[in-house]
Amino acid sequence: MKKPNISFKIPKIKIYGIDVIKNFLFFALFIILTLLVIAFIISPAIRSFKKSKKQYYQTKYTLEITTNQYKEKLTELKKLQNSNRKIINALKRDFDKNNFRLFASKYMNVTSIKEINSTVYKKDFLKTTYIMTSKIKSPKNFYDFIDALKNYKSVLRVYFPIDFVKNKENIDLTLKLEHYKLNPKKAK
Amino acid sequence: MYSFTTPKPKPLIKEDTKLWLIFIIISVVLYISFALFLEIKTVIYNKDTESFNREIVKLKQQITQIDLQKQFIYKQKTLYEDIMVKNSLMKDSIKNLLDLIPDPITLNSISFDKNKLIIYGITPTQDIYNMLMLPPLESIFTQTKTYFYQMSNGWYKFKSVNYLKEKQ
Repeated sequence: MKKPNISFKIPKIKIYGIDVIKNFLFFALFIILTLLVIAFIISPAIRSFKKSKKQYYQTKYTLEITTNQYKEKLTELKKLQNSNRKIINALKRDFDKNNFRLFASKYMNVTSIKEINSTVYKKDFLKTTYIMTSKIKSPKNFYDFIDALKNYKSVLRVYFPIDFVKNKENIDLTLKLEHYKLNPKKAK
Repeated sequence: MYSFTTPKPKPLIKEDTKLWLIFIIISVVLYISFALFLEIKTVIYNKDTESFNREIVKLKQQITQIDLQKQFIYKQKTLYEDIMVKNSLMKDSIKNLLDLIPDPITLNSISFDKNKLIIYGITPTQDIYNMLMLPPLESIFTQTKTYFYQMSNGWYKFKSVNYLKEKQ
């Protein structure tokens, strides 16, 4: 059997000394390489670059919004703290018996202040109860004393039982005082 | 052997092939450089995005903290105002009760409790007490009991015990 002759030889066609076939093949190689690089390297890179860029700008925008929100909230908090400075400071203070006697001396003669107990109030506060005995000239002293408590540096509540007993020129007044302050655990 | 032409050195790669190869290599290098540039930019963007995200999480935590602080300030304010209002109410209720005492009646002691009021005093007659003092007390309290003790001068010492029913 005769073996078929399948040998292939690129023909040489030259125009003005330029090998047309060879140059065409190089050109084809260049095009194929370009397409391959675009398809498998550049295109995925562009896709992930675009995705990252989009995500970057979205996150940047969210960050700007969150920063503005934070600044607004901080300003609000500072305003709130400033407008309630008196209350915040009053609730931080301990009860000073001597200072209280001095304060109450304008309205009554305090004879004794006795601590009864101390309990946690609404989780965040500490309520300490005192029994106070004093002498007043008239009930008006008592009313003025309660009005003045608004301007006292600690937070005090007058509570039952309240006893008025007439004693010669004076009235013996016994009442319960409740002092409120921040629970030290919360204050920390 | 003799040749009529002088031999010329034959290059391994022809001039035009060399040009093509250089051109293709430069192109591929440029393509890869461009892809690398994009990759580097992508990595930078991703890193920045991550740092932005961390910052956002941190800011949101701070915002939550601020909200908690604000709530706590409102809680303190509410407590303070509540106490001040209760003090004023206490003063007003005691003042109103003491203002109810008519002139002929003298009080020796008065004891205010949460739901109870005990009054000790002196009245010229039981009728004066019953006419001037009992009606307002009965209008305020749910239960009123009065005990009289006659004194040597004919006046009466009295003890009035008044109760308020607790709200259900």
